[in-house]
Amino acid sequence: MIDVLSNTSHVHLLLNHVPTTAFVVALVLYVVSLFNGSEALKKTGLAMFFLIAAVTIATYTSGSAAEAWLRGIGAKSDLPPDVVPAAIHEHEDAALWATGLMELTGFFSWLALWQWKTVKRMPSWSTPLVLVLAGLSFVAMSRAAYLGGHIHHPEIRPDVVARHQACLAIVDEEVKHPGSVPNAPENCPWQTAADQANASAGAETEAGAAAPNMARRLGDFVIGQTWMWPTLETLHFVGLCMLFTVVLIVNLRLLGAIRVVPVSAVYQMLPIGMLGFAVNLVTGMLFFIGIPSQYNANPVFYWKIVFVLLGGLNVMYFMLVDDAWRTPSDRDVTAGPRIAAASAIVIWVCVLYCGHMLPFIGNAF
Amino acid sequence: MMGLLQSIESSGFSQWVKQSGSLWAFPGILLMHTYGMAILVGIIAGIDLRILGLMPAVPLGALRRFFPLVWAAFWLNAITGTMLLAADATSKMRNPDFGIKMAFIVLAVITQRAIQKRVFGDPEVDLRPFSSNAKMLAVMSLVCWLGAITAGRLLAYVGNPGGL
Repeated sequence: MIDVLSNTSHVHLLLNHVPTTAFVVALVLYVVSLFNGSEALKKTGLAMFFLIAAVTIATYTSGSAAEAWLRGIGAKSDLPPDVVPAAIHEHEDAALWATGLMELTGFFSWLALWQWKTVKRMPSWSTPLVLVLAGLSFVAMSRAAYLGGHIHHPEIRPDVVARHQACLAIVDEEVKHPGSVPNAPENCPWQTAADQANASAGAETEAGAAAPNMARRLGDFVIGQTWMWPTLETLHFVGLCMLFTVVLIVNLRLLGAIRVVPVSAVYQMLPIGMLGFAVNLVTGMLFFIGIPSQYNANPVFYWKIVFVLLGGLNVMYFMLVDDAWRTPSDRDVTAGPRIAAASAIVIWVCVLYCGHMLPFIGNAF
Repeated sequence: MMGLLQSIESSGFSQWVKQSGSLWAFPGILLMHTYGMAILVGIIAGIDLRILGLMPAVPLGALRRFFPLVWAAFWLNAITGTMLLAADATSKMRNPDFGIKMAFIVLAVITQRAIQKRVFGDPEVDLRPFSSNAKMLAVMSLVCWLGAITAGRLLAYVGNPGGL
């Protein structure tokens, strides 16, 4: 078990099923809710979109770690012989698009759930927007998954499929006209096709080295501009302050501070915190894409993502409990939301701790 | 002056902060500085945004109960900030960016005092719309803290960032 968790590739292989298979379930529930008008079904769909978007953060980042495991560490790092670098690059670019769309879907799903409680009905903007974003996410994520399969499933790679079909054609020809192909089926073009594949793989390696993929170009832009990293760090701090505004004021109210304020009033603050998280997700992803090696093998980053996922679960708990938010002034919330409020403060303090310790305990910078 | 800064920087404490490699030294002090920032700027920004019209259902007057927490965070950062300064006194004190950060913080503290006195001092603060004066103070507060954060982060990059 520890071995499995310590090799981030396992984490990627485990998590990569969530944005694809779980997302199909969420999308089906959401679409069905549009037809039968079930509010519970629609809430479930939106909540799943949000949670899957949170898991997608871990899926994307663990994918980069999986590549690092494949390449090995050191001056001369090489992929195993049957892994084509171009396949990794294509998968990475597709995953970057898919992750971006998935995070947008999660953000607007959350906003729809949030507004639902304040206006007592589904906000009208949300249905078309979330549906379009979820559809695009599904297409982009399926493509990322398909291209990810090419990395280590040679049986679905186009060159292997073409080879297989050529072989079938020869066998077919021999069946129709016995004796027409000398030495069939031994004459299947395995050997020649394999040589061709190796040659094209070699060409792809050179092409891959010459032309970096989109993710790498974005990363090079982030680390290539002297002003970029400090600007992103400053924005990351601003986002952190926005997030803490809400984490502290809302959760301290739930824990019994400022009891004169009704809980429904502090509910209005939540989008500020979510916006702060969005700023930090974008800037944080740009750090990650800039220098993935700082985070891939960094245990503190691993824990940071674990705490971010717990934070996502915590937020979703609060979106699905209605009673706590109806608490008027001078009343306390029940034990469940209190425990969740205390956990929220602990979780975000831990996220900040892990982020801060990236260079000191881990290997970043 | 330089001699004084050098003797501060070569003191046992400064050397421990800078070179001990302990997680309690530079990393721990900077961590506390970051938590202090999150609490201080986090809560003040929430109050400023409330004055500017966001979250209209939250009664502003009730938020005064957070002032002790705000000032505790301020003093935490004043102390941890002084520790960090002591460890790198000669280069920080010559860095114009450090002066800019301090100027922003002084302005931000003056603004915060003015908000507490003029806006929160009014017993009927939640009974009528905020004056344009109050909104001006809130904008000023946001700008000053944003400036302090930016200048603070840039301390690692501009001037003579060789030290810390």
